Amino acid sequence: MTDQDKRLSRRHFVGATGAATLAGLAGCSGGGDGGDGGDGGDGGSGGTLEVLHAWTGGDGATAAEALVEAFEEEYPDIEHEFNPIGGGGNQNLDAVVANRLQNNEPPSAFAGWPGPNLQRYDGVLGDVGSVWEEEGFEDVMVQEAVDLHQQNGAYRAVPLGSHRLNCLFYNTSVVEEAGVDPDSLTSVSAFIDALETVQSETDAIPMTHGASGTWTTTQLFSSTMLGQEGYEAYMDFLDGSPDEEAVRATFESLAEILGNYINDDASSIGLTESNQNIIEGNAAFIHQGNWAAGAYRNAEDFNYDEDWGFKTYPGSEGMYMLHFDSFLYPSDNPSPGVTDQFMAFVGSEAAQVAFNQYKGSIPTRTDVDMSEFGPYLQETQEDFANAEERPPNLQHGLGVTSETMTALNDVISSEFSGPYNVDAATQGFVDAVSN
Amino acid sequence: MTRNTDTGDDSGDAVTDGGVTEDPSGSGFSPIAALNDRFGSDFVESSQFWLPPFLLVGLFVYGAIIWNFLISLTDFSGFGNPNYGDLDLEMYTRALAESGFVDAAVNTFILLVGFTLVTLGLGLGLAILVDRNIRFENTFRTIYLLPMSLSFVVTAQFWAWMFNFNNGVINIVTSSLGLGRVDWLGNPDIVLWAVMFALMWQFAGYAMVVYLAGLRAIPNEHYEAAKVDGASTVRMYWRVIIPQLKGSTISASVVLMVFALKAFDFLYSLVGGYRPPNGADILATKMVREAYANLNWAYASAIAIALFLMTLGIVGPYLYYQYNRGNL
Repeated sequence: MTDQDKRLSRRHFVGATGAATLAGLAGCSGGGDGGDGGDGGDGGSGGTLEVLHAWTGGDGATAAEALVEAFEEEYPDIEHEFNPIGGGGNQNLDAVVANRLQNNEPPSAFAGWPGPNLQRYDGVLGDVGSVWEEEGFEDVMVQEAVDLHQQNGAYRAVPLGSHRLNCLFYNTSVVEEAGVDPDSLTSVSAFIDALETVQSETDAIPMTHGASGTWTTTQLFSSTMLGQEGYEAYMDFLDGSPDEEAVRATFESLAEILGNYINDDASSIGLTESNQNIIEGNAAFIHQGNWAAGAYRNAEDFNYDEDWGFKTYPGSEGMYMLHFDSFLYPSDNPSPGVTDQFMAFVGSEAAQVAFNQYKGSIPTRTDVDMSEFGPYLQETQEDFANAEERPPNLQHGLGVTSETMTALNDVISSEFSGPYNVDAATQGFVDAVSN
Repeated sequence: MTRNTDTGDDSGDAVTDGGVTEDPSGSGFSPIAALNDRFGSDFVESSQFWLPPFLLVGLFVYGAIIWNFLISLTDFSGFGNPNYGDLDLEMYTRALAESGFVDAAVNTFILLVGFTLVTLGLGLGLAILVDRNIRFENTFRTIYLLPMSLSFVVTAQFWAWMFNFNNGVINIVTSSLGLGRVDWLGNPDIVLWAVMFALMWQFAGYAMVVYLAGLRAIPNEHYEAAKVDGASTVRMYWRVIIPQLKGSTISASVVLMVFALKAFDFLYSLVGGYRPPNGADILATKMVREAYANLNWAYASAIAIALFLMTLGIVGPYLYYQYNRGNL
């Protein structure tokens, strides 16, 4: 009897476990379906707007919140879901987007870079030409924005804001102590001389660099090439017909800078810690996109022109190296009607002001009232509007395809993250971009 | 007699035939019985318990591996659908020709072997020390095991700080000892060993616990007999105790090797991205980069298969060993 009872109970137990497992599986798959099934209202005007972006921390998160708030104000009736996916820069967002597009479950829109970066989404992006037309974006955006948001003859995305890439920031008191006038640095060689002066006159790091990822070095390459070899050479490089001598000369300057004037712990720190060196007065210069300035604004008692300053990267005066934060529009859209409304909103003055003033970037429209922005961004906006040339960036999607960008970063990782091998890096870069 | 025999034969045939024709309506010969005969008496009755998980695992694990292998034979990249009509080994030849892949494979292998051996050695040493009836034994055991309970994300950040060139605790120690500072993460010749050291720190406690269980299972008589025979402590462990820890060694090393293959999490958290420092790229990180940065699905699948074969090369002999011992 007891034996039988035992057996029975064990059987029941196993059976119950099996049932629970099955129920769990069913629940999981049901949940999964539910997640993407939320877009049930295909077509029509309904459907939930689902937007993916990577602004999870600091300025980005504040800016994204401001964007959502402005959107709710403008379109109170649209059901929406803004999902931030952070980590690894944009890497995790890109991976999630890639999976969802691959599985035919696209979001309504996702944050990304336009330009050649669109090529990786070849065939899965829809056409937002009607939004561009209705809202008259072509008339209010700079020509580069108009060009870079098209692929195969159709608009694929709408820009939200723009950062500037060819920036050099400095700590005012450190450069003053060294006796360097940043405004006089109008060539890369003058810049290297200034780094030498900082090194001999002060205890500070001449140039702080966070190289735990390779992107900072690739980015520095692009500004240095633009500043030293000029606009044409840089554009030839992006277009796939690089002048090997120009690439080599750029790497020689870089090797001199990185080999002599950067912090010893560059390889173990990233941008945030590197930027902290400027705020704390441990370093004189940093090259970065102007998102770096967001950290200065958030630092206490650290004001523009008094404590930190901006200089166009030496040699690239009069140019604005472009970066765009845009929203890309997947075809087979789960909520086409509301997505169009969202896209129209993204390019509107309300959205661009709300987002960019917190993000530390500027509107891509040239007709926006800049009074809400601080003095630094107002100057940036003027530079943007009046720039002689607006070359696309190398590291953030506008200059080369994502595959080329990976190849360039492979080269930086294996040949140019110390020791600095100019020959191999030159060869690698030329091979990577050449058609 | 012959008649009888004939009738006997006849009747026998008739019976056999009759039996055959009768049987399906009865229960003597059926697929269920045949299956039970072939695979054991409870095969069909018990199938309701093992069959669902068997099918699920078969589909989601082995099915996925086979599918992955198929994708690796295509040229699939970007969005859309793979073309299964044109299968070849191009991705594998491409991998073997690419220095990045070869470096990553070599690094994976070094990490695998080096990390496992050192961790086992350290774990054994700790286990023997803890097993010698020391005071605060439980406290030490907990302390050594604690790193194992931390996530890779946490430990990677710890070590990123500790390996910092200027203010990392390790360089403070080395420079105060007069050894100078070392660029642990920036020097491509060193970084893999630095990563290995960090992983070893995290998993030595696990190896210790496995060995400790093995040591506890050895009867006290063995220690006493060795002592009576006049063996020194070192000799006793070397000749009597350690040889009995073979089982612990094998099971611990399989787990450790699998952890070494999964070092992706650690490297990802160390740099906050898919690209580890130069010199520390492993197959797992390269695979993710190819898949998600470049959308080279087929090539990433080929790397995944290479990684899978490496894992199989480790787990296979272990399974064979267990099978020979009758544990499977």
